Amino acid sequence: MIEAIQLNKKFKEKIVVKDVDLYLDKGESVGLLGPNGAGKSTTISMISSLLKPTSGDVKLNGKSVVKTPADIRKVLGVVPQEIALYQELTAYENLKFFGRIYNVPKDQLESRIQRTLELVGLKERQKDLIKTFSGGMKRRINIASAMLHEPEILILDEPTVGIDPQSRNYILEMIRQLNQQDHTSVLYTSHYMEEVEQLCDRVYIMDHGKVIASGSQPELLSILSNEDTMMVQLNQTSNELITAILKMDVVRNIEETSDGLKIIAKKSSNIISDLVKLVDQHNSKIINFQMENPRLEDVFLHLTGRTLRD
Amino acid sequence: MLTFLKKDLLLFWRDRKELLIVITLPLLIIVVLSFALSGLFGEDQSENYDLSLSVVIEDNENEALEEFISSVNQSQELPEDVKEALTTGVREAPPVESLIQFLMSPDMESWMTVETMSESAARESVENESKNAMLVIPEGYTTSLLNRIYFEQEAETALEFSAKDTAFEVDMIQSIIQGFVDQMNLQYVISSAGGTIDPAEVQMPVGGIETLEEEQSSSLTIGIDQYFTISMGVLFVLFLASTIASRTGSEKREHTFSRVILSNAPPLHFLFGKTSSTFILAFLQILIIFIGSHLILGSFADRSLTFWFGTILILLVYSFSIAGLTSILTSISLQIKNQDVVDGLFMGIIMLFGTIGGSFVPIYVMPQWLRQIGEFTPNGQTLAVLMEWFQYENFSALWVPLLILAGLSAAAIMGSILLYPKKGETS
Repeated sequence: MIEAIQLNKKFKEKIVVKDVDLYLDKGESVGLLGPNGAGKSTTISMISSLLKPTSGDVKLNGKSVVKTPADIRKVLGVVPQEIALYQELTAYENLKFFGRIYNVPKDQLESRIQRTLELVGLKERQKDLIKTFSGGMKRRINIASAMLHEPEILILDEPTVGIDPQSRNYILEMIRQLNQQDHTSVLYTSHYMEEVEQLCDRVYIMDHGKVIASGSQPELLSILSNEDTMMVQLNQTSNELITAILKMDVVRNIEETSDGLKIIAKKSSNIISDLVKLVDQHNSKIINFQMENPRLEDVFLHLTGRTLRD
Repeated sequence: MLTFLKKDLLLFWRDRKELLIVITLPLLIIVVLSFALSGLFGEDQSENYDLSLSVVIEDNENEALEEFISSVNQSQELPEDVKEALTTGVREAPPVESLIQFLMSPDMESWMTVETMSESAARESVENESKNAMLVIPEGYTTSLLNRIYFEQEAETALEFSAKDTAFEVDMIQSIIQGFVDQMNLQYVISSAGGTIDPAEVQMPVGGIETLEEEQSSSLTIGIDQYFTISMGVLFVLFLASTIASRTGSEKREHTFSRVILSNAPPLHFLFGKTSSTFILAFLQILIIFIGSHLILGSFADRSLTFWFGTILILLVYSFSIAGLTSILTSISLQIKNQDVVDGLFMGIIMLFGTIGGSFVPIYVMPQWLRQIGEFTPNGQTLAVLMEWFQYENFSALWVPLLILAGLSAAAIMGSILLYPKKGETS
């Protein structure tokens, strides 16, 4: 349906997006995962025709979007990371304005506004000014404004940034519903790994403007098939001990978390016994040990040596 | 396009702070300045004047008139009909009697006291300041006057006006008398050319300074409150152009403009929404300022329906020019990435227009070439047109400047279309 081919974007001399290839099929839900500044927003700006690529192309059903942007705009709903709403207008007035400019037929506009407001759970607040809404409510109307014309493709750029867990769950459930029930194709960017895991069939992982890995979740996790992830809780820890663990031949990475030390290591039969010995040498004791299933976060850590929040 | 227009009008209506500024601030300034400066310009001050004049009549007017009529009748050069007109004329409007009647008329009585007395008493009254000035009508004045006018002889005597100092009141009395005498002379000259002396015309200076001024310039006087209504109204509407165009920057910053682009709505609808909403808002703003000024200060109480018709026409064209200015500023705003640069540029343009258009400082302090450029600013042109309209109410003088203004505005709109980003892409 949509295909990005060798997308590049330079701002002055700075390369922001480099050689990005990406596709989205009909009814699919695809995630674009990466830390802040990875180039996700620039990529979707080019895909949605808001920004011209320095080189490369975006095709909708084989036709260049760069040359004829009107085609993709007809079938696209974009939820920007920012609250792209008129703060001095009510939720209803915003939806009516965007519905009108999206050419929603007049006889359907009112019913679609009411249905969308119901979907985002803000029907009761439709007469209130946007500026009086909480961050979560604004985000929901932000999404509603992009759905009113019932687009075939919905692109969401970090739609849950800075909101409460309740609104976040509401939004995620809404997107899932749109994808699974209405068969809307979804391109979802986030730096929250859990959201992408929860929503997306396929994932592109971006870092420093490049796609560093892509595939379905099992495919991505298979990158870690020769590695184990374990969570180790110690009675006391020190920098010397962490350095010593990191120096073990099989250990690839180590991260201090609130639950203890998260260690990624090459599959090995004697890793546990070696670890117990080393901890003992540093006058510490293991009080909890758990093998963990690898997650996308671990894949990112494996590929970049950094966490998504770094 | 109507959707964009409605949105822009609604956004402006919701911005109560802005509304308060564009409507109440100019009205407040007009009221304050009108009250503060009305004393300086002497408006409605005639009622407070208490002028006084001593008149000394040494001339024997009746004797002089009989001598003059006798001379006219004996003349061989004058045709009979002219002799008759002159005789009737001087009998109907004898110069000294007419002057005294004028000075003691009910209209003058309300602000000037005139008393006839002997020369010594008159000099004493001026000396002890019980009177502002004295006027001596010397012996032979009537004969001298009529001989000068009708027989082109050298004047032997003239009115003698004297005062202790040169106070404003003294100047006023002198100019009133001079004005009347000039009118009298004019009427006599007309009668010598075969016309008749119109007693109503001879009485012309009646009514004081304002009437005199009106007669001399054939124009209506612009009151101080009217002046400030024009200048402040024009200036504050000029600010509106920058205010509305700057909103485009906010729409870019808040990404609502991106949504508009993605909607596939014709790109120029956004621009025309701004242009048409500015036209409506500018017209409403300046109309409210004019009406507000009228309701608070009674600025246009004595004006006719024609005056209002012409004024509304000028305001409509001015609003169109402000819409044109907004249009081009909107396109500029979409071409420049840095919003601070845009805001600074807009403020600079408005301040420049305000200055060279005469909205901040009187244009006479500027060099001629700058004044000429200022005439091409919407505010400068409108200010000039309104001033002229307020004085003369002459429709034929309106068309050319209004057509120039409308033409420049249309050119600005065309320019904004050319500058508007293609396919809605912005920098």
